[in-house]
Amino acid sequence: MPEPLEPGRRFPDLELPDHGGNRRRLSELAEGDPLLVNFYRGFWCPKEQAFFRRLVRLQDEAEVAYTRFVSVSVDPPETAAPFRAGLGARWTFLSDTKRRYLAELGLRETTDRVHRPYLPASFLLAPDLTIHQAWNGYWFWGRPTNEELRQGFRAVTRAIRPDWEVPAT
Amino acid sequence: MSWCWFAHLSEPDAEDLSEALASAAVADPDGAPAGLVAAWPQGRKPVRSAARMDRRLVDPAGPPAWLSLVLVPPELAPLFDDAAVSQAMRRVLAGPPYAAVSTLVRDAVHFAGAVTVEQGPSPRRLADDPFALLHPARVLRVGPGMFGTVAPPPGPAIQRYAGKPWPVAGFDSHGIRMP
Repeated sequence: MPEPLEPGRRFPDLELPDHGGNRRRLSELAEGDPLLVNFYRGFWCPKEQAFFRRLVRLQDEAEVAYTRFVSVSVDPPETAAPFRAGLGARWTFLSDTKRRYLAELGLRETTDRVHRPYLPASFLLAPDLTIHQAWNGYWFWGRPTNEELRQGFRAVTRAIRPDWEVPAT
Repeated sequence: MSWCWFAHLSEPDAEDLSEALASAAVADPDGAPAGLVAAWPQGRKPVRSAARMDRRLVDPAGPPAWLSLVLVPPELAPLFDDAAVSQAMRRVLAGPPYAAVSTLVRDAVHFAGAVTVEQGPSPRRLADDPFALLHPARVLRVGPGMFGTVAPPPGPAIQRYAGKPWPVAGFDSHGIRMP
């Protein structure tokens, strides 16, 4: 029985190929910044497409806010890369085609026996991969709004940046 | 992760290279010799024309490579936060990854250029170097022992960290405090 992925726990440091086929680790992708990790069913799912359009809108803010996104699915890199390009996403997509982490993370979507995908879920992590917030996206309304993500990124950034309060001169 | 000094030298002096991390002869695509490129560790500026580059690009065991070199003269250099520079970085993140990419910086605020590396028999992809829209790029064949392959920058972050060349990440002056 996997440990629940809940706030305060350390998220596993996944190691998977990215959309270009390069092996990446979550800790390396965070590079000291807050990180959103979202697991999605696959390119074919209209709910995922709608949620990604939301994240693509948020990336214009994230790009200037020292913040990272990572998306994970069972789609192979050659499927994830054109999906990413079609969305206009500018963050890293990871491919777990061997479903290496499905069971370990407890994110197996048991109701889809055709694609055997990840359960849609989002995690907002501190740079050391401590979970700050988690969302279960099985039903679309369970997913974080951009406003919830902004609030979460604000809380993590405030916690990790010693100069959040502008230093006195 | 950090930065190093980088320069393209048309007429290199052996003394210039005495403390280099790596160097390699370069040639124009038609094979005409074009000097060399070199990288030096952080610290004292090694040569007048040196600019800061992502240290991870340097690999003394790296294979021959193709280089798209954008070097903007100081009098023409845009601000690093110029929308045109930001858009070039977005295009790097959005597009198929190159073998390695780093912007170049001379000071805290200006964009000095970029280094975009491809490995393989042809420099064809370098024709799409997004930074070449800011200033003409010079495509060079680089000998072995200079450039390696670097995993593409994570996105969507494009802001620099305290004046470092993008995509070098992390603030040095104040550590990170975990919640």
